[in-house]
Formats: sequence, C-alpha cells, structure tokens
Amino acid sequence: MLKHRRWRWRKNLGKLLLGFGFVLLSLYFLSPFLWMVSVSFRNKVDIFDPGNVFASFTTVNYETIFHDNIMKLFINSAIIAVCSTVISLVFGTFAAYGFARFNWRKREGRAFWILSQRFLPAMAVIVPYFMLASMFRIIDTHFLLIICYTTFNLPFAMWMMRGFIEDLPKELEEAAMVDGCSQIAILRKIVLPLVLPGMVATAIFCIINSWNEFVFANFLTTVNAKTMPVSVMTYLSVSGVKWGEMAATGTLAVLPVLIFAISVQKYMIRGLTFGSVKG
Amino acid sequence: MASYGNQKYPPRGGIRGYLKRNPQTKYVAPAMCILFLLSIVPTIFLLLTSFTNYQLGWDFARAKFTGLNNYIRLFSGRDPDFWHAVAISVEFMTLATAIEMLIGFLIALMLNAHEFKLKPLVIGIMIIPLAITPTIAGQMWKLMFNSEYGLINYLLSGLFGIKVTWLDSGMAFWSILLVDIWQFVPFVALILYAGLRSLPSEPYESAMIDGASRLRTLFSITLPMMKKLIFLALLLRAVDALKLFDTAFVLTQGGPGNATEFLSLHVYRLVNAQNGLIGRGAAVAMVLLILVTLVSNLLIRLQRREAD
Repeated sequence: MLKHRRWRWRKNLGKLLLGFGFVLLSLYFLSPFLWMVSVSFRNKVDIFDPGNVFASFTTVNYETIFHDNIMKLFINSAIIAVCSTVISLVFGTFAAYGFARFNWRKREGRAFWILSQRFLPAMAVIVPYFMLASMFRIIDTHFLLIICYTTFNLPFAMWMMRGFIEDLPKELEEAAMVDGCSQIAILRKIVLPLVLPGMVATAIFCIINSWNEFVFANFLTTVNAKTMPVSVMTYLSVSGVKWGEMAATGTLAVLPVLIFAISVQKYMIRGLTFGSVKG
Repeated sequence: MASYGNQKYPPRGGIRGYLKRNPQTKYVAPAMCILFLLSIVPTIFLLLTSFTNYQLGWDFARAKFTGLNNYIRLFSGRDPDFWHAVAISVEFMTLATAIEMLIGFLIALMLNAHEFKLKPLVIGIMIIPLAITPTIAGQMWKLMFNSEYGLINYLLSGLFGIKVTWLDSGMAFWSILLVDIWQFVPFVALILYAGLRSLPSEPYESAMIDGASRLRTLFSITLPMMKKLIFLALLLRAVDALKLFDTAFVLTQGGPGNATEFLSLHVYRLVNAQNGLIGRGAAVAMVLLILVTLVSNLLIRLQRREAD
C-alpha cells in the first residue's frame, strides 16, 4: 500500500516536472514572437524600457509602414511566391508521377540528385546568378526571383508529390488502363483529383519557403521586385534601428505564414522531411 | 506499371522508340532539365569566374584569366580569414547539429511520455520558430540581446544582477548558436516525435517482460529503430547549419571583426558592393559549394543505406 502510494507520488512529480519543462520550452519558443508583437504596438520611447510591459498602446508603427507603402513589398512577395509555387508544382508533380509509378534503373540515383539540388547553398550560387542576370538585364525583376525560388521549390515539390502518389492504390490506374485510358488521361482524371489535398499542402509549404527567403531577394533586387524579408534591412537607418516599424512589418509578415502553417499542421512532418515520413 | 515495361514493345530506334522503352522520361525530363539548367550552368559559371580576377562593375573584357591564383591564395594561408571562416563554419555545424539533435530528441521523448490535453498547443507553439521569417526573428533576437535595453539582460539583471554583452566578439558565436537552437530544435523534435509515435509496441512489451531498464530499452530498441529518421534529421540540420547565412547576417554581419564570419558571410564580404572582389569570392563560394556537396552526399548515402 505504502509502496503503491510512493510510486504514484513519484509519477505525479514526474508529470509536474514535465509540465514545468513544457511551460519553459513554450516560453523560449514563443518569446521572440510575443516580444515582436508587443514592440510593434509601442511608442519609440517605450521600446527601450523592456520592464514597461503595460506601455501605452499605439498603432503609430503600423500607420508609418502603411504610409511607406509596405504593401508593395507584400504584393511582390506574394506574386513571386505564388508563381514559383505553381511552376514547381506543375513540373514537380509530373516528375513525381514518373518516379512513383515507373520502375527504372537509375531511379533512386536521379531522385537523390534532385534532392541534393535543394541543398545548393544560396550564397555560393548568388555570384553566378548575379552576373548572369546582369548580362541578361533581368536584375530586380519578379521573373528572376521566380526562377531562383524554383531551384528549391521544385525538388521539394517532387519529393512531396512522389510520397502522395505512392500512397494511392495502383489498382485504380491499372483498371483505367485496361479500359483504354491514355497515360495522360489517367494522370489528369484519376491521379490528380486524388492527390489534390497533397498538392494543396505542398503548395502551402512552397509558399512559406518562398515568403521567408532572404539571400536571393537581398542580392538580386533593389526597388521593383524587393520582397518583404529584405525590408528589415531598410529599417537600419543612420539614426539607429527603427524597431517599432520593423516589429510591425514582422508581425504582419508572420500572420499569413502562421495561418498557413496551422492549416497544414496535419502534413507538417511530411513537409519537414520532404515527404519521406508519412507522420 | 510493369505492363509498360521493356518487353511489350520491340526495340525501336529514334526518340520515339526511346520514349516507348522508357515511359518515365516524358514525365521526369522537364523537371530534370530545369534543375540541370538552374544548377549546373551557374556552377560552371562560378568555376570559370573563380579562375579570373574579375571585380564588380568591370567589363567582362577587362577580366584576366589568372589560373589557380585565387585558390593558391586561399590554401597557402595568405588569406587567414578564409581558414578562420572554414573553422568556425565546421565548428558551428558540428555544435549546432549535435546540440539540436540531443535537445530535440529529449523533447520528442518528453512529448511521447504522456498524453495530455495541451499537447496540440505545445506542438503549435513549436511550429512558430519554424514558420517565422528568419531575418525578422533574427532582428527580434538582436533587440532582445541588446546589452542596455534588451529584454534578456533586463531579466538577467533583475533576477541575478548580471549583464551579458551578447554580441561582443567572445559571445556572438554562442548567441547565434542560441538563435539557431531556438529555430531548429522544434524541427528535430517534431520529426523525431513523429518517428517515436510510429514505432511498433511489441518490442517494448517483450523488453518489459524481460525486465529491461528504461535506459536499456532506449538504447537497444528505440534508437536502432529510429536510425533512418535520425539520419534524415542529421542530414537536414548539418547541411543547413553549414550554409547558415540569414540569422548570422542579421545579428552580426560577420562581426565584431571577423568573429562570426562564417563561410557564406566571408563570400558576402568579398563580393559585396564595397569590396567587389568577385573572382576571389567565387573561389571561396566554390569551396563552400564543395563542402556542402560533400557533407550532403555523405549523409544522403548513410541515410539511403539505413532506408534500404
């Protein structure tokens, strides 16, 4: 009896410690985000006084950035992210079908070559991209960034879609083939409708990755095609950093990403592991 | 679809025959061609540039072919910043990967230990560091790291009466590591947690009957069964840590001095508008590219061996 009680007490203590651990971890993971939101609603003087938690609430930072036409950067980011995602998804899904449904000799080798393209260090290829783009006079255009973002979105889309297609039962397609459907018709009428949820999830991951990308955007754009992540560099003025405006931009930029991320929570593990873990 | 395999069609020549014998080609080829163009062409261009003394703003005609000069300068030690950059990049990769794998695995075990109501909330919170724009998160950390009006020092001085200059030459490396851990521990934890949940329960039942201790169960059953996922997380973390740029650029821009000048930041310092040494920068970029390729190929090979 006594032993049983002690055992339960120990178990409860373990649970308590675990709960305490999770509270601390959550605070660590949340703090920069919460701090950003709180700074974005503060006056300039209050930002430099961290203890002043209940500082006067103000929306002046948001008014300033809207006045400075922050929406243009958001629209640029959105155009580039969506275009690159569509291109990657179309070619990626096609390739994924080839990898998932045909058995060929060099299949795995080729698939891992595609994966390795995802690891291309942006800072290494930025030099040739910059020089080639200046040669073709496409610096600071949406088109250039769309191309750049395809280098990491396309491998990702291929691997994700391959996983989703391999999850489908083959029998449906085989039955359609017996009925005389052409290969393209099978892909369009049977495979695509079934993997549509997977495509949406893949698209959302591609959009998040493009939305957050910094290196290409920072070095290949100046005015016209400048995207949101680059804006943080413009707040580093001579008179010091404009923290309030920066935090306001950050808060606005993070909102769509968070909404997207929560909407694909079910596929989160898949997205983090290039479709190799079904989670 | 095996019925579309080789035997059904008699061997035919030409492109049509090739497509009949390899039906996957028409699906795979467009994507492969795009990636080939977008990666091989710039790589060749980078290699060629690294053999010249080209500088930003020059006409291409003015650039001279200097052979291996840029590489000789790097490897003969005439550019000490380069070796420093390689050293701290590799050090950062090793430390960040090791620490993130360890803490991530601990959190995964914690998540897997009990079922509790708020678990979806904890997982939701862990997604925030992954989804937030890295440059903006970096700026927020910079504000929190500020030694006079930063949140962290405010809390530290209030609780323990100490102040840390987080971004001075001694601490900057560790501060960047702290931000990297913040950003990617949830990543490792979520992947490994998914792996833990998908493990079969039979080995654990027989281990319990045999009276194996918890630690023994962890090392003899859990870890071996998780090998594939552990290698995957290792691959993704090691490569991304080696090519780290965003957060370090925002937090320190490589400084103070060159204390946090990782390889990609060293490339940046050589090729940016003030220096414009494109040729020399290209040689460093080539080294970065080769290092990343080596590490990723090695880890991909290990991961594939586990997967088979």
